[in-house]
Order: sequence, then structure tokens, then C-alpha cells
Amino acid sequence: MAAFTQTVRSAFTKVPRWVYLTAAWVLAALFPVLNALDLVQTAWIRVGVLSLLFALLALGLNIIMGETGLLNLGYIAFFAFGAYTTALLSSPKFDLHWPFAALIVVSALVAMLGGFLIGLPTLRLRGDYLAIVTLAFGEIVRLTIVNVPTLTNGPNGITGIDFLKPLGPGVTARLQSAGLPQAVSNLLTIDKPTEYYYLVLVCVALGALLLSNLKNSRVGRAWNALREDELAAVSSGITASRMKLLSVLLSSAIAGFAGSLYAYYSNVISPESFIFMQSVIVVCMVVLGGMGSIPGVILGAIVLQALPQVIRESAGAARSEFEVYRMLVFGVIIVAMVVLRPEGLLPDKLWRGQAHEADPRELERTRQTLFDLEEGEQDLEA
Amino acid sequence: METILNLDGVSMSFGGLKAVDDLTFDVTRNEIVSIIGPNGSGKTTTFNVISGLYEPDSGDILLKGESVAGLRPDQVHDKGIARTFQSLRLFSNMSVLDNVLVGMHSNSKSGLVASMLRLPSVRREEAAMRARAQEILSMFPGRFSGPRQSQAAGSLSYANRRRLEIARALASDPVLLLLDEPVAGMNPMESHELMEQICDLRDAGYTILMIEHDMHVVEGVSDRVIAMDHGVKIAEGTYEQVANDPLVVEAYLGKRSAHTAS
Ligand SMILES: Nc1ncnc2c1ncn2[C@@H]1O[C@H](COP(=O)(O)OP(=O)(O)OP(=O)(O)O)[C@@H](O)[C@H]1O
Ligand SMILES: [Mg+2]
Repeated sequence: MAAFTQTVRSAFTKVPRWVYLTAAWVLAALFPVLNALDLVQTAWIRVGVLSLLFALLALGLNIIMGETGLLNLGYIAFFAFGAYTTALLSSPKFDLHWPFAALIVVSALVAMLGGFLIGLPTLRLRGDYLAIVTLAFGEIVRLTIVNVPTLTNGPNGITGIDFLKPLGPGVTARLQSAGLPQAVSNLLTIDKPTEYYYLVLVCVALGALLLSNLKNSRVGRAWNALREDELAAVSSGITASRMKLLSVLLSSAIAGFAGSLYAYYSNVISPESFIFMQSVIVVCMVVLGGMGSIPGVILGAIVLQALPQVIRESAGAARSEFEVYRMLVFGVIIVAMVVLRPEGLLPDKLWRGQAHEADPRELERTRQTLFDLEEGEQDLEA
Repeated sequence: METILNLDGVSMSFGGLKAVDDLTFDVTRNEIVSIIGPNGSGKTTTFNVISGLYEPDSGDILLKGESVAGLRPDQVHDKGIARTFQSLRLFSNMSVLDNVLVGMHSNSKSGLVASMLRLPSVRREEAAMRARAQEILSMFPGRFSGPRQSQAAGSLSYANRRRLEIARALASDPVLLLLDEPVAGMNPMESHELMEQICDLRDAGYTILMIEHDMHVVEGVSDRVIAMDHGVKIAEGTYEQVANDPLVVEAYLGKRSAHTAS
């Protein structure tokens, strides 16, 4: 029996990783086809859109948390920056209707500005302190949104956000009056779940590609070095403040970008979507998937966003009933993961096994590291 | 010969403790200078001050005549001083090769956007860096060959981790290499091998300032030896001169008899 499992396992590990990854992307791309064939309800496409939006967020948080090793417990604030920027500039609220192409960029820039303002004074902090400050920042942003109704409509949120017209309203109107075939004309306005699904899927794929390029580059390595040992990193010529700020800027820009898409998709946004718990959920997505692993955090986001829905559907529970249990399901998933697979579902290749310490040599190494750390701490205390 | 490093009356205290006290010495080009001294005599603190981890309370540090005192560690590294750590400080969850590549950070310049897009300039720089990293790793024949390079640095043996730290420091082609107890924890054969490699580095043109407790190694590689005790330089000269200096003998014996008494 053991030999059999061994064979099965080695057969699986012999298949190169890229085969799995390609298969996953193809499956993701084919998912809406099931809906077109009436095999899957449209509600599941909506679950897919949100899962992918959160995958984008998790990719962004992974940069700061997984790659650079800085905990951010207020990450959802940058998502809010993006969502509100888009909502305010493309809704009846101020009767502004900026085109999509401009808004997606401006939303990312506003979130980046937020990242800059919080990053500049706090990046010297470490660990616990950084966690507290970012947590507070997230809450301050949310409470500000709630309490400045003249700008944000407070708890009521902003409604009637424009339809997403990739080419902008002017060009779209002109093309439509030129009498295009219905199928083409439909694509000029992204409003159906399937259209959103593909838009966000492309964004996630592009994000994954660009970020994996970055991971194996000078900048990515500098972030990893800061995560592993800041003192050794700066002694190797890395300017910590500059590189950390770069990491914060990129991760907040991605959140702003995702926030903008979210505002278009949901048409209505309100402060409830940006509570502290959402920040925690994105952190959990990164940890569940495997910190620093791009396929991992995408999978983590999909699992944590979709699994509660799957469970709800199969339990046939009413929505209001299930909301009560949502966090419970969530907690069970996280606890199970921490016990069974602490390195995450699809860990970064070098982190694999680091979390398990059954190997006595590993234990000895950890002991040695702790000893070194104590000595190192002495070095640090100036 | 050209003076590479010049410490001029450098002092550094922690609270009331003078860890380094009015220390003055020079290192000239292509020389191996060793610093010896009992535990706690201020050797590592001297390194920390030179490499910018601490700012000296007084005195100046000149690299090729230019002051580096008070610069940040990354700036000091840019000026050409690279170091290793007594308590190993590798990037444990990064591969062996990546550890060396990090050492080249300040010799390369690919930025964020270019790296994301993998522009041709980035690819070229990356290829050159990898080729150079291979050269550096091959200084330790058989230690970092083939699949070992993609292994996590934290999974290496103790001796290999010490070697990798040296490789990472060498990656930036430093003007001055600081080695803090490079053979600590190695067995006699390994330390003998490393000793020869350190001599090879001098032959390749590097200038090295080294802290070492292993007197066999100190004798084997040093052009000059500096002895410290309680933060003060108590002797300087050839290995024979320093080893036979009464102050040095007393510093070591004093410590030892104090230890046996307690
Ligand atoms: N960060 C620090 N804070 C307070 N005291 C320190 C600090 N670093 C070093 N010291 C003290 O300064 C003195 C010199 O320490 P240093 O590490 O330079 O000694 P060393 O010569 O390198 O010793 P060893 O041979 O054990 O490595 C010691 O008494 C040590 O306790
Ligand atoms: Mg020391």
C-alpha cells in the first residue's frame, strides 16, 4: 500500500509544474463555457469574478507580505482608494463620467499616493509595530469614508457607477450609431458576468506574468533579501528604505487597480466592503496559498472566496443564515491548513518543507539560527 | 603602496563600555591584515563601525582617502567595502545562486518596470550577472556545483554557509573585504583549505581585513597582525612579533587564568 502511494506520488511529481499551471489556466478560461452550455448557473460566474478580483488583491499583498516580508493589516484601504476614486469620478454623485482608461490609471495612482503617505513614515518599523500601524491606517480610511458624507455619501455608499466601456463613452456611442453587428456592439460595454470574468482573468494572468518576471529579477531578489535578513541585505548594498517603498507602491497600485474594477463590477460600493475583516481575509489568502508563491496566492484567493459559497450551496442554507457561519467555515479552513500544511497549498519552491521540522538536522539548524539571531540582535542594538 | 583603509582614532562605546577605544591602523593594497584578541575585545565592533552599522563616537574612517564614517551600510558597500558576519547571516530561504546575485545588487541597475517587462537590457544584465556568479562560486571547487546552486542557502552545511557568505561578499568586487572569523566552526581540513583560498584571493588582487581566532590560519595568511584587548590596539606587526609580545601573551593568559579560576 505504502509502495503504491509512493508510486502515485512520484508519478505526480514527475509531471513538470508548468503542465499543472497551463491546465489550471485553460480550465479557468473554459469555466464560462459551462455557463453558456447551461451546465453552471450564472451565480457561479459571479463567484468566479469576485474570486479573481481577490486573486489580484492577493497578488498585490503578496508583494509586500510574501516577497518583502512586511505585514500589512490594512491592505483593503488601498482597494477602497481605487474603488472610491473610480466611483466618484464616474457616477451621478458629482456628475463626472471619466473614461475607463483614465480611471483605472488614476485609481492605481491614488492608491499609490496612499501607500506613499503611509509608507514613508512607517517603513522603519518592524513586525508588530508595522502590523498595528497598518491596521490603524485601514480603520482610519474606512472611518473617514463613513464620516465624510459630502464626499462619499457615508455609510450609504455610492450608487449608479457608470458601465465599463473600455473605449470610453464617446467612442462607444459613435461606434454604436455607426451600426455595428450586435455581437461586437455588446462587447463595447462590459456588463455581463462572463465579460467581467474574462476581463479580470486576463488581468490576473497578466499580473502573474509580470510579477513572476519581477520575482526573478534584481528588484525581487532585493525584496527577498530584506525579508530574510535586513541587516545582511543593507550590508550587501541594498537601500532598505528605497526598496521597501517601491514594494509598498507597487502593491498599493495593484490594490487600487483591483478596486477600480470592483467598483465597475459591483456598480454600488459602500464602506462595508472595506472593513478590517476583509484585510484579514486577504492576508489569509496569501498565507493559505503559500507566501511568496504566485500560483499559490491565486489559488488561496479562489479557495477562500469560493469555498464558503460552495458549502453554502451544498448545504442549501438561506443567505442570511449562512452569513453567520461564514467566518466559522473560514476559521476551520485556516486552522486545518496551519496544522496540516503550514507552508501553504502551493508553496514557493524553496520554502517547501521549511515549515515542517521533523528532520533532526533541520531542528539543529533552527537551534543554530536562533543562537545566531541572539548574537545578531546584539549586533543590531546600537 | 597605496593605503586602502585608514582608521584614525576611532572610538565606539555602548553606554559606559568602550568597545573600541581610540583605534588607529592602516591597511594597504593587496595585503591581508588579521585582527586578533580575546572574546569581547572589540573586533566585531570595529567591523561594524567600518561597515556602517554603527557610527563611530569619534575618529574617522577613510577608504582610499575618502571618509566613510557615518555613511549607511549600503552606502559603505557602494564605496567598495564588503563583509561577512561572525554569526552567519545568509538569506536562508533563497537559493545559493540568488544569495550571490544579491551581493551584486549595487553593481547592477535594472529597475522595477524594466524587470517586470523583462526588457532586453534586463536580460543582458541578468545573463552577465549569472555568468559572474558562476565564476565566483567556482572559486570553491565542488562545493556549489550544479543542483546545489538552486538549493536553499539554509540547507547548506555550516562550512558551506561560511563559504557562501564569502562568495556573496566577493560578488561586488570589493575594494576591501572584511572577513569576521571565516573558519569558525570548520574542521582543521576545511579551515586549511579555506586558508589557501584566502591566499588565492590576495593573489587575485583583493585586499583583506580579517578577524580570526585560529592562530594557525592567522599565521598562515597574514602579512600583518593587529592585536586588540578591551577595545585598544595592544600590538601590531608580523605574526611572530605580535605572538611574542608580552602584552598579547598577558591578554590571552590573563583571560585564560581568569576563566580557569572561575
Ligand atoms: N550592540 C551592543 N550593545 C552593547 N554592547 C555590545 C554590543 N556589541 C558589542 N558589545 C560589547 O562590546 C564588546 C566588544 O564586543 P565585540 O563583539 O566587538 O567583541 P569581539 O572582539 O568581536 O569578540 P568575539 O571574539 O567574541 O567575537 C563586548 O563587551 C560586547 O559585549
Ligand atoms: Mg566578534
